[in-house]
Amino acid sequence: MPLNTLRGRVAFIFEEEDFDVDQIVGVKNIKLKDPCELAKVAMEAYDPDFADKVQAGDLLVGNVNFGYGHPHYPPMIAMRQLGIAGVIAESFAPGYWRGEIAMGFPQAACPGIISLVSRWDEIEVDFDANEIRNLTSGKMLHMEPLAEGDRDMLENGGLIGYLHARDKEE
Amino acid sequence: MGSTIAEKILARAAGKERVRAGDEVKVRPDFVIAYDFPGYTDVIFRQMKEDFGIDKVVGPERYALFIDHMVPAVTPAEEQLHKITRDWGKEQGVPVYERKGIGHQVAAELGYATPGAFAVHFDGHISQLGTYGTLAIGVRRHLLEAFVKEYIKLKVPQTTRVELTGKLKPGVMARDVFHHIVRVIGSSGARFHVLEIGGDALDHISLEGQQTITSLAMFTGAITAIINPNERSLAYAKPRARVDLEPVSSDPDADYAAVHRIDISKLEPIVVIPPSPANTRDLSEVAGTPIDLGYLGSCASGRVEDMRIAAQILKGRQIKEGFQLHVVPTSQEIMRQASEEGIITDLVAAGAFVTSSSCDYCFGRMGVMSEGQKAVSTGTLNVRGRMGSPDSEIYIVNPAAVAAAALEGQIVDPRKYM
Repeated sequence: MPLNTLRGRVAFIFEEEDFDVDQIVGVKNIKLKDPCELAKVAMEAYDPDFADKVQAGDLLVGNVNFGYGHPHYPPMIAMRQLGIAGVIAESFAPGYWRGEIAMGFPQAACPGIISLVSRWDEIEVDFDANEIRNLTSGKMLHMEPLAEGDRDMLENGGLIGYLHARDKEE
Repeated sequence: MGSTIAEKILARAAGKERVRAGDEVKVRPDFVIAYDFPGYTDVIFRQMKEDFGIDKVVGPERYALFIDHMVPAVTPAEEQLHKITRDWGKEQGVPVYERKGIGHQVAAELGYATPGAFAVHFDGHISQLGTYGTLAIGVRRHLLEAFVKEYIKLKVPQTTRVELTGKLKPGVMARDVFHHIVRVIGSSGARFHVLEIGGDALDHISLEGQQTITSLAMFTGAITAIINPNERSLAYAKPRARVDLEPVSSDPDADYAAVHRIDISKLEPIVVIPPSPANTRDLSEVAGTPIDLGYLGSCASGRVEDMRIAAQILKGRQIKEGFQLHVVPTSQEIMRQASEEGIITDLVAAGAFVTSSSCDYCFGRMGVMSEGQKAVSTGTLNVRGRMGSPDSEIYIVNPAAVAAAALEGQIVDPRKYM
């Protein structure tokens, strides 16, 4: 099954290395469960008007070792509620990566992405060609191919769908 | 080219002659381990039945559940979660270990740290079973796969080896060694790799100390840590091993992604500055920082040698008025040993608050701080809000430095009290 190419604007660039994603909603909100409530508090510390600016299909960009520390799920639940379709980072911390892939949330590791894009550029993430194309600047970078298991999981919408697909296959 | 210990363990678990880093394989975990926690075990039990129609796990003897968080329960909902776990264990024939201590440590005591075995948990600190040559990986929610499938899919990881040389100075501990490794190889130095620890320095670091080092592997980006079995670790792990496996070791010509040689003989006590586990500095840089609370415990630290050194520092002295010192042994067995040795007596006499083993002090459920307070801690993490208010701060230090801070109410080099 092909993985759909993502196309959207760079809604935010997290320039900090070892970025602790919990900061997206703030530790004081980390126990919230309702996606709408989480969406309301998301990005307060970075861009209070973020929710008004973002549109469905937009993407986030991160630096090296994105998701380091002790990542929880609410920050990206908030981001998905706001329409964010995936994250591209220089590299990811394994715990964060694994957690979000299990949620069926597309991620792409792409060394050089930080210098390839500016905020609000329109970009494409092509999981078949393993390319990230900046449609605004016309520049392109190769991303790291997904591991087979990760790709299966994204194609099936996350862990549950993936395990059902394995039921059929076995 | 030879194989790493991780490749050998995964080859056996995959039923193959040989696997290489990068191969995608289906492996049968020898052990599937979890503690009960909302959103993990309760959800897994439900999904197993409702989404997959599975009534019984395959090979219940491979599974182990621990009740170590929210112990004792302070709300009916917490106790209900524990009840669900106990009932599920009974129904499945899966052992549930309760009130024995922090699961990652108790798992080692009970023989789940079988040399050569492959184990999965949702929590990455299970990496400490690697001290005994067990490949133990924290897979977060993917743990569901190990409850509904006998075999799980895994990409064989590369291995980064760290060779430790030299002998620590007195007052410098295993905890300092781990954070120094982060300082040298970086917070993503072993990203997605197995961190293999070796070198002559290990001869001078106890198995307890080695568990401290392997338990924290995730902060180098590693998915786990492992040490090749040796006479000492086998003497501990073999008699209690739960399955009969041949211990394996990395070949001398194994293919490593990187090899780092780190001399620890000149290492000084370190501190990890909030709010990131990547911020290792020498403790001397922040000496004098006022501190309100000390925590000596967690799955990383809180073992007999950790409490022994704290007791040596505190014996015959009193902790500073108003300072809160919480000492939480990693397991009840460790508490018993410390008690026999008189360590608990010395700690209590100095004013420490010693409690039964539990994870609750580490993740901000008990002994929490209010806004503006600062702690020295041997807990696993120093991120914002980990021990209470998001506006409190956690300085990670070795157990001796927690004790010394308790005497002065500030960060201080513990060696002046030794």
